[in-house]
Amino acid sequence: MIDFQSTDRYSRQMRFHGIGEEGQKKLLASRVTLCGCGALGTVLANNLARAGVGKIRIVDRDFIEPSNLQRQVLFDEQDVKENLPKAEAAVRKLRLINSAIEIEAVVTDIDRTNIESLCQDADMILDGTDNFEIRYLINDVAVKTNKPWVYGGVIGSNGMTMTIIPGKTPCLRCVFEAAPAPGAADTCETAGVLGPVVNIIASMQAAEAMKILSGKAETVNKELLHLDVWENTFRRVKVAPLLGKVDCPCCQRRKFEWLDGEFGSQTTSLCGRNAVQVSHRSAEKLVFEEMARQLKTLGEVSYNKFMLKFQAEGCEFTVFPDGRAIIKGTADVDRARTLYARYIGH
Amino acid sequence: MAVKVQIPTPMRPHTGNLPTVDVSAATAGEALRELCKLHPAMEQRLFDNGQLRRFVNIFINDEDIRYLENLDTKIKDSDDLAIIPAVAGG
Repeated sequence: MIDFQSTDRYSRQMRFHGIGEEGQKKLLASRVTLCGCGALGTVLANNLARAGVGKIRIVDRDFIEPSNLQRQVLFDEQDVKENLPKAEAAVRKLRLINSAIEIEAVVTDIDRTNIESLCQDADMILDGTDNFEIRYLINDVAVKTNKPWVYGGVIGSNGMTMTIIPGKTPCLRCVFEAAPAPGAADTCETAGVLGPVVNIIASMQAAEAMKILSGKAETVNKELLHLDVWENTFRRVKVAPLLGKVDCPCCQRRKFEWLDGEFGSQTTSLCGRNAVQVSHRSAEKLVFEEMARQLKTLGEVSYNKFMLKFQAEGCEFTVFPDGRAIIKGTADVDRARTLYARYIGH
Repeated sequence: MAVKVQIPTPMRPHTGNLPTVDVSAATAGEALRELCKLHPAMEQRLFDNGQLRRFVNIFINDEDIRYLENLDTKIKDSDDLAIIPAVAGG
């Protein structure tokens, strides 16, 4: 009888000097919350489950589509046929990989009302999300409750990652004071994304998590890493001196503006119209010219001074300069938020 | 001083798809203004009423200008100035 419960399964990792038997015990006794289980999230979950992180909570609001399979490593065609939520499909796959750990699927939309309870018992938080709204929420919760977290982001052939240890490294808002206004930055839907860059960035995030969870937090990367697999560039940008140097509302003044709802989006189903309004409070005005350029890969985009219109996935989007959008063709608030993040960004 | 400005992929449509632009400047702010003179569409991407947009980060030789002297940070010959926006996808 093969014993999958024995720590022998981690022997190659325990022989590595940085982990050892002690480090492995700590990994097995640790708990993480993974926010988002798409491209970055599946690679992160795969690495951490195999490494023996004892308790993994996977939170995602989405379902699997054929276009996910190019990079979301835990999913296959059968999952698409069964119309499974990503969190559930990931957990089923991971249980086959490692039955000795606890893995929990939470199919929900992360927002300011539930993020604290989703993260309260975690030793650290991992970022597998595709938008800055949730990243700023993670950052607020992490700083407020003094938990480390690892940011990762990918687009096209480039990606970046940074590890945040509250009080010891700059937080996300020290480095990126504000997210690009909705529509001002490319999304994976408009600019595409390559599988290899996802695997590299998420694997780096996973290594950072292993350092922190095995008790070696002092060895984490303290800079912002940026790489491009198509242009063959690798930058290690020095951000550590920003800690205490910039007047960060989050980690210096302890104002949790995303968690408190001062920034972020609100969604309302427009009764009887098969439409949802997503209101986004953003400091930046939208630049329609820029948005139209990015969205034209999807089809026709029209705009004037007051609004921009386009169609995607059977829905008609009307976007206003303040970031508000009316998404016609769905009454489902969660789907509208997903579509907003996918095509308008943030 | 001759300085190479690294243009991030999403902004390249505004520099005629150039990945780097050579300018001559004494400070970071001057370099960005020179860039905007050569490629006027960059102005709106980088500045809002003369202020650097809050989601645009500028690094000289991989150091964030906010802990140096911001837009007044001096530039030496053949320095590397990179515009690095936050990457949102995942």
